[in-house]
Amino acid sequence: MPIFIIIGGGLRALFAKQRAEQELDEELRCYMETAVEQKMRAGTGRDEAARETRIEMGGMEALKEQVRDVGWETRIESFLQDLRYGLRMLRKNPSFTIVAVLALALGIGANTAMFSVIEAVLLRPLPYRTAGEIARVSSTWDRNGTLTSYSSSPPDFFDWRDQNHSFSSMFAYYMGEFALTGQGEAKRVRAVMTTAGMFSTLQAEPMLGREFAAEENRKGANHVVILSHGLWQSAFAGAPDAIGKTIQLDSEPYTIIGVMPADFRFPLSASDAYVPIGFDNKVMTQRGAHYLAVLGRLKNGVTLAQANDDLSAIMAQLRKLYPDKDGKWGVGTQIWSAALVRDIHPALLVLLGAVGLVALIACANISNLLLARATARHRELAMRRALGAGRVRLVRQMLTEGLLLALLAGAASLLLAHWALLAIVRFGPADIPRLASVGLSGPVLAFAMSVTVACALLFALIPALRSSALDAAGLLRTSASPSREAGRLRGALLVGEVALSMMLLAGAGLLLRSFIGLRSLSPGFDPNAVLTMSVSVPDAHYKNSAALQSYWDRALTQLRSLPGVASVAAVTPLPLSGDDFSSSFSVAGRSVPEKDEPSAELRFATPDYFRTMRIPLRQGRAFTEADRLGAARVLLISEMAARMFFPQGDASGQKIRFGARGGYEKNEGEIVGIVGDVRHFGVDAPIPPIFYVPLAQSGMDAAAVVLRTLGPTATLTQPARKLVQAIDPDALVGEPAPMETLVSASLGQRRFYMMLLAGFAALALVLAAVGLYGVISYSVAQRTQEVGIRVALGASGSQVVAMVMRQGLRLAAAGLAIGLALALILKSVLKGLLVGVSATDPATLAITALLLLLVAVLASYVPARRAARVDPMVALRFD
Amino acid sequence: MTVAQKPGTVVQGTLDMLILKTVALQPMHGYGVGLRIEQISKGVFQVNAGSLFPALRRLERQGWIHGEWRATENNRRAKYYMLTDAGRKKLKSEAREWQAQSAAIARILEATSGEV
Repeated sequence: MPIFIIIGGGLRALFAKQRAEQELDEELRCYMETAVEQKMRAGTGRDEAARETRIEMGGMEALKEQVRDVGWETRIESFLQDLRYGLRMLRKNPSFTIVAVLALALGIGANTAMFSVIEAVLLRPLPYRTAGEIARVSSTWDRNGTLTSYSSSPPDFFDWRDQNHSFSSMFAYYMGEFALTGQGEAKRVRAVMTTAGMFSTLQAEPMLGREFAAEENRKGANHVVILSHGLWQSAFAGAPDAIGKTIQLDSEPYTIIGVMPADFRFPLSASDAYVPIGFDNKVMTQRGAHYLAVLGRLKNGVTLAQANDDLSAIMAQLRKLYPDKDGKWGVGTQIWSAALVRDIHPALLVLLGAVGLVALIACANISNLLLARATARHRELAMRRALGAGRVRLVRQMLTEGLLLALLAGAASLLLAHWALLAIVRFGPADIPRLASVGLSGPVLAFAMSVTVACALLFALIPALRSSALDAAGLLRTSASPSREAGRLRGALLVGEVALSMMLLAGAGLLLRSFIGLRSLSPGFDPNAVLTMSVSVPDAHYKNSAALQSYWDRALTQLRSLPGVASVAAVTPLPLSGDDFSSSFSVAGRSVPEKDEPSAELRFATPDYFRTMRIPLRQGRAFTEADRLGAARVLLISEMAARMFFPQGDASGQKIRFGARGGYEKNEGEIVGIVGDVRHFGVDAPIPPIFYVPLAQSGMDAAAVVLRTLGPTATLTQPARKLVQAIDPDALVGEPAPMETLVSASLGQRRFYMMLLAGFAALALVLAAVGLYGVISYSVAQRTQEVGIRVALGASGSQVVAMVMRQGLRLAAAGLAIGLALALILKSVLKGLLVGVSATDPATLAITALLLLLVAVLASYVPARRAARVDPMVALRFD
Repeated sequence: MTVAQKPGTVVQGTLDMLILKTVALQPMHGYGVGLRIEQISKGVFQVNAGSLFPALRRLERQGWIHGEWRATENNRRAKYYMLTDAGRKKLKSEAREWQAQSAAIARILEATSGEV
């Protein structure tokens, strides 16, 4: 049946309602008269005929109602009626309405905010055409059967790219940084160093100019650059003739060959420029130099598994061709979008589950309030029932009231969610991709709407079914006293609320404990009163290592003379900076095949580094100013390195030679001392073995300056930066940051998860307290008469208080017991999130239970006091 | 469905078909439809108003019949129902379906033990 006929008929009936009603009346009257006529013709008397006809036709109003019910419009009408009625009920009980709307708005708002995070981070497609086909390819290293993913080496990448049959295109990149000079003070340019094929893989084109050609990936031919829209605007004011001009990057000229559109972002966040990597012949032989990230676009119809098999077969060939280098190297393929969030995914799902529980608690709360109110509305419902409202009609009406409540809450929740998102963007950790792009987008609004409706059904259905189940006669007979069954139901809901809150609080408590534990772990250095600043000088200004070293000497000497500076040093890579430098090595006198050589982290540091960072010297001597180019090459190693590589305690005096895997090939040194461990990769990450090399013996063009200050670090921020910039105006000097910021940022994700879960648990606690308070207050109100009699018979105030509180605490205790049992499932849920604390940690569970019990005591004490103040005379008159 | 004196013995949806058939013969008002069904079925089907009017409303909403106010032979204003083109199609397919089903049921009921 065509839809427009249904709709049209209904609309006509809605708008021409009066006429339709008249017509129905007339039609039925005609029917009746005709029937009577027929009967009279058959010989029945007029009165008798009319009586028979009326009996045959049944109740005229009921018949009309049946006819009206055929169309959909009557449902709308009764819905509108219910809506008006519901609004009246909500207005009549403002305190109920406010409490219910607020509780539900908090529940829905928290869910909406959490879902926007999930939507932005996990669900939203990456901003590239058919991004689901883009796969990340990484090198894997097999360590006794467990695979670790690494970046890939240039020769491996080119072999994969040229020999595979699964990818339509593939490219490799790493993130680089240039100083843009020639326009006043040097400006930092975040550049993607990439290979040709990047744009075809991402299916994006420059809006001006062209993309890279394959031959521009040769050293010497790679001085071309594609600008981001942002850099084009800031450096060339968006002039179209920028193509063909040159810019100075690290004091070398690069020709602009293209400009990307404004909405292009890679990798995920915006970069300033795209520069082809210049590979030379030497690099092309270094299969151990793993520094490239590889992305490829799967051919149509090729699955991830097929692509992985394809690349693995190529890798197996390579292992045969280069047995020394590729012994344990394999290849792994993942869909890029999934690979980006692999570590974040489980935590976010746990949080979504937790926030779902908060919504459940809110619903149980409101269900409870509605049940209490439904008991009070018994007579009204009975009256409607007696006047002919069907059961379905009553359920519908009560569901409409619930929906109304939920919609009000839903609207309020959007405001709450909006504020929550502002806070998340402001305080969220930087290492969750796309977290900053959260917002109340279309899918989020749809989610909020579904949660709202689901909540309405959830909390309104039980009270609606329950109160409509009673028959009219029974309802009218009983007074407004609550039935035993309703009381039990409300008790059960409350127990459930307390149990879920207990579980959430326990989870939050465990995360908090784990976090406090991590906070108290030392990173291996003292971050207090240490300021750091990255400095990178253009290679072109410094002919050799000696020239570079004199730059560092000058910079550090000048910084040391700043007032308020206790000591100064330089290091690279800086701990917790996310940068990393490692190399394989061999120990003189130990013969190990090159492919089985161990590897360790390498740090380049000036003599004062250990004093400045307060990294303790455990054995031997630290670096001195004498450890320079030309002098004997020396090394310090960390305790972990000493334990791992020299378990006999014979580290001092050993000679180390760095190997092919890594960027410090063919260098060597003698171990002269052992220093304390540093948690370079994060306070919560494993301690790596570290080798320290004197910066003065390595000729570095970039390092982080660390300053230990006498006063607050903030006072030195600008003086230090200006001073360093003045030494070489073309040097790239980063914004100085306190070392403590880096330490706290390294726990950023954990803090974020902990804060969110703690927020949800706090909500749950408040909701449970409100629920408990509501149930006890209501039951006190119901028992006024009973309490009055008890008081009249001589019960003391404290006896009444005890009686009421017993009721509340019994429910709370039942909830706590169930909650504790439920908390056991946290073990598997929180597995990846807890460090150094067991999921069944008795102290945490005990404190959580005590906290909840305390809240329960408070929530039942207030109504209990009220009960104790009941005047028996008033109570006994109370109906 | 309360078409027959013994409800439940008539297949759901039959009343709609009977009404369509009746108004296909000639335009008719509500009472006439009920009367005609009773007459043709020789009293087997008695249609009461409580079933008839909702069914008429339903068929009209679905666009299978169309109502028009006319004067009756007794000079009363009555709503006469007639079949629309869509209704004619519907009746045809309903009737075909019904015949196929009743023939099948008849075959099953007449089956001897050897056939089963």
